[in-house]
Amino acid sequence: MEQANPLRPDGESKGGVLAHLERLENQMSRSRKQSEEPQSVQAQERVLGTKIQKLRHLRDDLKAAVRHRRGSVKACIANVEPNQIVEVNEQEALEEKLENVKAVLQAYHFTGLSGKLTSRGVCVCINTAFEGNLLDSYFVDLVIQKPLRIHHHSVPVFIPLEEIAAKYLQTNIQHFLFSLCEYLNAYSGRKYQADRLQSDFAALLTGPLQRNPLCNLLSFTYKLDPGGQSFPFCARLLYKDLTATLPTDVTVTCQGGEALSSSWEEQRASHETLFCTKPLHQVFASFARREKLDMSLVS
Amino acid sequence: MDETVAEFIKRTILKIPLNELTTILKAWDFLSENQLQTVNFRQRKESVVQHLIHLCEEKRASLNDAALLDIIYTQFHQHQKVWDVFQMSKGPGEDVDLFDMKQFKNSFKKILQRALKNVTVSFRETEENAVWIRIAWGTQYTKPNQYKPTYVVYYSQTPYAFKSSSTLRRNTPLLGQALTVASKHHQIVKMDLRSRYLDSLKAIVFKQYNQTFETHNSATPLQERSLGLDINMDSRITHENIVEKERVQRITQETFGDYPQPQLEFAQYKLETKFKSDLNGSILAEREEPLRCLIKFSSPHLLEALKSLAPAGIADAPLSPLLTCIPNKRKNYFKIRDK
Repeated sequence: MEQANPLRPDGESKGGVLAHLERLENQMSRSRKQSEEPQSVQAQERVLGTKIQKLRHLRDDLKAAVRHRRGSVKACIANVEPNQIVEVNEQEALEEKLENVKAVLQAYHFTGLSGKLTSRGVCVCINTAFEGNLLDSYFVDLVIQKPLRIHHHSVPVFIPLEEIAAKYLQTNIQHFLFSLCEYLNAYSGRKYQADRLQSDFAALLTGPLQRNPLCNLLSFTYKLDPGGQSFPFCARLLYKDLTATLPTDVTVTCQGGEALSSSWEEQRASHETLFCTKPLHQVFASFARREKLDMSLVS
Repeated sequence: MDETVAEFIKRTILKIPLNELTTILKAWDFLSENQLQTVNFRQRKESVVQHLIHLCEEKRASLNDAALLDIIYTQFHQHQKVWDVFQMSKGPGEDVDLFDMKQFKNSFKKILQRALKNVTVSFRETEENAVWIRIAWGTQYTKPNQYKPTYVVYYSQTPYAFKSSSTLRRNTPLLGQALTVASKHHQIVKMDLRSRYLDSLKAIVFKQYNQTFETHNSATPLQERSLGLDINMDSRITHENIVEKERVQRITQETFGDYPQPQLEFAQYKLETKFKSDLNGSILAEREEPLRCLIKFSSPHLLEALKSLAPAGIADAPLSPLLTCIPNKRKNYFKIRDK
């Protein structure tokens, strides 16, 4: 520090002293500042440093967690694989069982009479057949109440369902079902014969087949040798028994020539017998075979 | 060709809308393919009709051919007529019905011709075992009126026939007799069932309106099918009366089923009942005679409308059995008396 000069006058020395004090003051404040700055900077540095460390920790933790997760998932997959195979096998076995049961239920159709329980009773299914051919199916939905009643059905309108129900439904349901089966099977059989005649042997018919809904009255004209010179025959088949597939009354007449030769008369009578004893399409099949035989004999 | 026949054919063809003309003419099968090809169907209707009449004249159309065309037109426009239902019955111990279509037609025609002398009877068979009969009525002294015929649709080997209701009611007993005798029945009775929709009447009478049956092959069990409720799948929304809604849906489904309802236009109830009241001493309650009133429900599709009443909240479920028994009892005319 500069010593105050005593030889200067007061003003000068004051100025000198004051100025000196000022200088000292400035110095002090400057040096204080200098000492503060590195402190704040250092403080900030310290704060940031700790933050960095925290973030690094966090990053490491997360990395570790990811690794752990991946590892455990792999472990899981490794564990699950053998289980899944077992489940698939069980599923296949169940599906097979289901298919078997479905097949058995379908096979019941071949018995002709099957049913399924419904919420209000039972839905009976009648599958008709003739000569080993499975034909149409019909349903009767029964409500199990007192009295037993038919809810709805798919039986054709010309089958006397109401009559059969009036006779047997309340007293003997087995009889009702069997009777209905009889009627429906017989109807299906007659219909089958008429359809086969129309489709397979149209060549032997000389006119359209006359039939009614129940197929219990058939009327047609036919020739044994289509295109030949012989007279056509007229046949009229009546099926008075609705539970039968063979006619009860057959009339065969010969159109044309009044005077029938004895051979024609023989044929006519034999045809009548044939229609009474064999199904319609089989009779015509035998006609067709005979025709072929005759043709081969002639040529 | 007779002038009256020509006029009759002309009027029939004029009724047919242009877009149906070729279909109906083909079904008629009277004019050949070649003849039909010569007609330009794009011209004005009058010209088309003129050309067709000319072709019919060439082919000498008879009254029977004209009547057949009329039947086909009516078959295409069944809803233009109102149909009544008749049920026939046989005596006890009758023989099995050996229905012979030729015999039936001959017998039917003979009975009418013997009674009336002047009557035109025509037949057309359909694939569903039904025969359409057209009858144009005359009297002993007047020719048949071809413009007011009656149609009967008879399902052979069943007891049911459907008849178009006409204003000429005096011929109904004769028609009933002809039908009964020709089909070998004893009695005929008119059912309390009437509608424009012949298909629906058939479904009701033959009980064919429900053709779904449960079998082991059905994919979905009937109970588990969704009841058609529009419920939001959002779990934040709850329906307060969902229990009630489900009950109503269940009852509706049990009563009406899942199938489309047959179409009827109305149900009519004739009431002859005494007035019932909780209040004692009211004038009406003291009345001894029953009150008479007529209630008629009308709708373009009555049964579907009834089915939607309870789900729409307009009526309580279950509905009155008087309304729900219509297809089951095969009636839409009811007379209600005190028991």
